[in-house]
Amino acid sequence: MPLRLAADVRVRRESWGLLFYRQAPHKLCFVKSGDWLQPAHFDGTWTLETIIDDVSRRTGAPPEIIARVLPRLTGRLIKNRIIADEIR
Amino acid sequence: MKYADWPLAAPVNITWEITRRCNLKCIHCLSASSVATPGELTLKECRGIVDQLAALKVFEINFGGGEPLLKDFFLPLLCYIHEKGIVACISTNGTALTDEAVNFFSGNPLVNVQVSLDGATPEVNDAIRGEGTFRNIISGIGILSGKNIPLSINTVVTSLNYHQLDRLKELAAGYGARLRVSRFRPSGRARESWETLKLDPARLQSLSAWLSSDPSILTGDSFFSISQDGRRQLGLDTCGAARMTACIDPTGDVYPCAFMQSAEFCGGSLREKSLKDIWDKAPAFARFRRLEPSSCRSCPRFEKCRGGCPAVAYFLTRDLNSPDPECLMSWNAETTRAGNRY
Repeated sequence: MPLRLAADVRVRRESWGLLFYRQAPHKLCFVKSGDWLQPAHFDGTWTLETIIDDVSRRTGAPPEIIARVLPRLTGRLIKNRIIADEIR
Repeated sequence: MKYADWPLAAPVNITWEITRRCNLKCIHCLSASSVATPGELTLKECRGIVDQLAALKVFEINFGGGEPLLKDFFLPLLCYIHEKGIVACISTNGTALTDEAVNFFSGNPLVNVQVSLDGATPEVNDAIRGEGTFRNIISGIGILSGKNIPLSINTVVTSLNYHQLDRLKELAAGYGARLRVSRFRPSGRARESWETLKLDPARLQSLSAWLSSDPSILTGDSFFSISQDGRRQLGLDTCGAARMTACIDPTGDVYPCAFMQSAEFCGGSLREKSLKDIWDKAPAFARFRRLEPSSCRSCPRFEKCRGGCPAVAYFLTRDLNSPDPECLMSWNAETTRAGNRY
């Protein structure tokens, strides 16, 4: 399932990871993901599996470690309505 | 480390004082606005700044002034900002609304409007904002109400309106708006009215309790040192100047905070430097990021507030690195010491 930003959320890259902004409550979400995640990962064209492959390719981190950590992170972002895993 | 300490590549939001022109002359105006400053930015220059903000992915612009709706190119500028997907929060006195502006705001997902009102009755509001303004402001709020515009009513809490906060909340609710309260600070014309309008310690204590007990009340002062224990849900609880936010004045000068618009705190001019350059390299910004009142170090709340509001500290003590003079912890400690002495 592709991941995408929720409708009222914007994101930008920071030195320590990603900074998400939710417009309606004017709230920020700091995600200390280092080099792993990119804003483009949430443009609706990437799935969890393709993000894991991309992170592994770019950083050299073993896919099994990424696969253990990343779903927990994206799960939290989905729960907090920062990203969605629905097909629009 | 607190989130506010995580270094940001750019501000999260910008306070943009688009003009000093204002049709009111409020006695607590932070920028002492009345007439336009000579050499205010042109539309072309403003669009160039918006291009920079978009490239830096600044999320929000909070427009104030002066009265932003009196800026001749304000709506075209807003259009341009929205083309870039940036949210605009507009702080207005509500007396200069036009049909064109209301139509533009209505249903616009990128607009928030905040109308300033400083009393629930004409007697209280007009003593602060000027004779006859209550009627005109309420009329403006009525025009905005029910138009699918996220609306809040902002009150700067002073000794004159403190006792009307519950009534102001009800008044706001009656128009489908939420009440937002702001801290009174001694900058601009408020330097002259400070002694008359400031809250005494007992009232600040009560205000703190009131805010803590009612999360429906908004505050832009998310680093409100008097209330942060009970209001962590607001997010930031330390000063965001030069860490999260910056202020652009009507001529393009950039400051860490809207309350600190004097030459010694100027980070540079957008007519000469880029915002990124100022954000990354301006000594004034570096100075703000290093602020840490040493006398607060032993306070149990230090990690939460880092000394409170530097603007209040500076205007009252002339020392930017002194603790917030309105900090309730300081007062509690002094009260305890006084009690021990007698």
